[in-house]
Amino acid sequence: MLSCRRLRKTYQTDRGPVDAVRGVDLDVAARHYVAVIGRSGSGKSSLMAMIGGLSQPSAGSILIEGADIWSFNDNAMAQFRNRRIGYIFQFASLLPTLRAIDNVALPALLDRHSGTADTYNRAAQLLTEVGLGSHFDAYPSEMSAGEQRRTVIARALINNPILLLADEPTSDLDVETESEIMALLLNVNHERGTTLILVTHNLALASKAEQVVQIADGAIVP
Amino acid sequence: MLQHWLLGSLALQNIGRRKARASLLIAAVAISSAIVFTGVVMMRSIETSMAVGFSRLGADLMVVPQNALTNITAALLTAEPTGEVLDADLLDQAHITGISRAAPQRVFRTEQSEFGGQGESVDLIGYDPGNDFTIQPWINERLGRPMQPGDVILGAARDVPLGSEIALFGKPFRVYAKLGRTGAGTHERGIFMPSAELLALVPAIREQTRKTPPMLEPRKVSGFLIELTPGATELQVRFALLSHLSGTKVVAGGSLLTGIRQGVTALLGGAISLVSMMFASTALMVSVLFSAIVTERRSELGLLKAIGAKRSQIVGMVLIEAIVATGGGGLCGVVFGMLLLRLFERSLVYYLTEIGVPFLWLDRMDTVLVAAACILGAGLIGAIGALTPAWRSSRHDPYDLIRGEG
Repeated sequence: MLSCRRLRKTYQTDRGPVDAVRGVDLDVAARHYVAVIGRSGSGKSSLMAMIGGLSQPSAGSILIEGADIWSFNDNAMAQFRNRRIGYIFQFASLLPTLRAIDNVALPALLDRHSGTADTYNRAAQLLTEVGLGSHFDAYPSEMSAGEQRRTVIARALINNPILLLADEPTSDLDVETESEIMALLLNVNHERGTTLILVTHNLALASKAEQVVQIADGAIVP
Repeated sequence: MLQHWLLGSLALQNIGRRKARASLLIAAVAISSAIVFTGVVMMRSIETSMAVGFSRLGADLMVVPQNALTNITAALLTAEPTGEVLDADLLDQAHITGISRAAPQRVFRTEQSEFGGQGESVDLIGYDPGNDFTIQPWINERLGRPMQPGDVILGAARDVPLGSEIALFGKPFRVYAKLGRTGAGTHERGIFMPSAELLALVPAIREQTRKTPPMLEPRKVSGFLIELTPGATELQVRFALLSHLSGTKVVAGGSLLTGIRQGVTALLGGAISLVSMMFASTALMVSVLFSAIVTERRSELGLLKAIGAKRSQIVGMVLIEAIVATGGGGLCGVVFGMLLLRLFERSLVYYLTEIGVPFLWLDRMDTVLVAAACILGAGLIGAIGALTPAWRSSRHDPYDLIRGEG
């Protein structure tokens, strides 16, 4: 389902180039739950961003369902991010001027591949599934961190992606909320069959994964 | 349509998020637009009023045959009715600089026109409608249609109703317009018509008088009324005329009026330049501001790209925000400008009218066009100011934008 080959990411800084990811080869099977672990600054987020189509690799290739995603033009890449990828960031990533239901519906509205009424029905259903059935009209500033993260998960699922990328989605949450969010993500993986790649420092969570990828200094530890 | 609504809605919400900043931006654009709108409308109105007012002051110089007798009057409005003539292409041949307009006139004085009482002296004056600046500006009343062949204009001293028919050498003419009082005898008693009309009357005149008056020869005129270009001095042009044209006399009008006319014209040009510079400085300010706004909103734009927004959607959203803010400012500015114009109307213009200085407002359609241009211009300034930062941001990877780079 996912195949990365000789993937590199080098950032240009004032002090010279910094290699964040160095020659990563990675294969992920469809419907699997993959945990990515490693110390801060090891290159996990850079790897996730490249796989999610958010950051162009300096070298190497990423094939998702056989397509080299970084060969897409701008519009095709935008459509790929919109329809095929669900991305959950390690920070609250909702638009502050939109209600919860608008935030969830936004990716579908941007691509306009379904009607407005259908989109909002699906957004309401997803919010209900993540336990926010009574928060449709709430603005991000009116929700707790956990509720915001649930909303982000609902947004990531609005277009039925094939790959869900979660980059430390619970790093700023309390233990109880973290458990709820992780249960939600694993449920998405099990029930919907959505491939899940999760960056985490929680080794207990990683132990439940079908595949664990440990990264150190930009490379996969064998 | 849905996308446009969505992007427009996001743009409006973004404006609402920073109310103080948005208000200041709108106010700045509104003030600039108000100044530009008021300035352009007032200056165009003043220009039109001056064009009429100054034309009524007469010519700067008059070129007539050397032996022609001339009355020294305050205003040079018509050539003199003498038997002396000049070549019609005299000034074209001389190529004299410093002349803005030269209006040739043919003045034929006759007692045999059959107009008025038996043997009454009448001045028939032929003018060139395209170059004339001393007759048409004096029209006080006219028929509600454009001037047609067979129409004449009467001086103020001729007591004939508008629209009535008169006969000149047996040919019928319609009184199309009447001039205001000038105090210049020839101008007040004259019967004016385009030179072509006057020349067409020659066969009838010849039949009546048994001769063709010299000024009614096709290539002859009685004299030229001259308006100088801004910056040209009366002395320079007078010297040039006399040195190039033999057998002519150059009569000067009021040099003070010439100076005022040229000075005010230059002043108006300068004021328009200042207004243009103000608009340009506003464009720069908006550009800098939107550059900062886009920089501040990088992570949000990155997030939008991350969930599938296209580059065109990112640029479109920022442009909508900029155009709504600055276009709204332009609209407020036009409304404010209209209030200012009302204030001018009740103060300065009222005072000018009271002391007998005519003030002609720019007509309604032109005013609406200036207002629309100000609003569009303000919106365009926003679009231009925001385009580069929006375009540059849209080129970056979403991850770079989210991390605050790009």
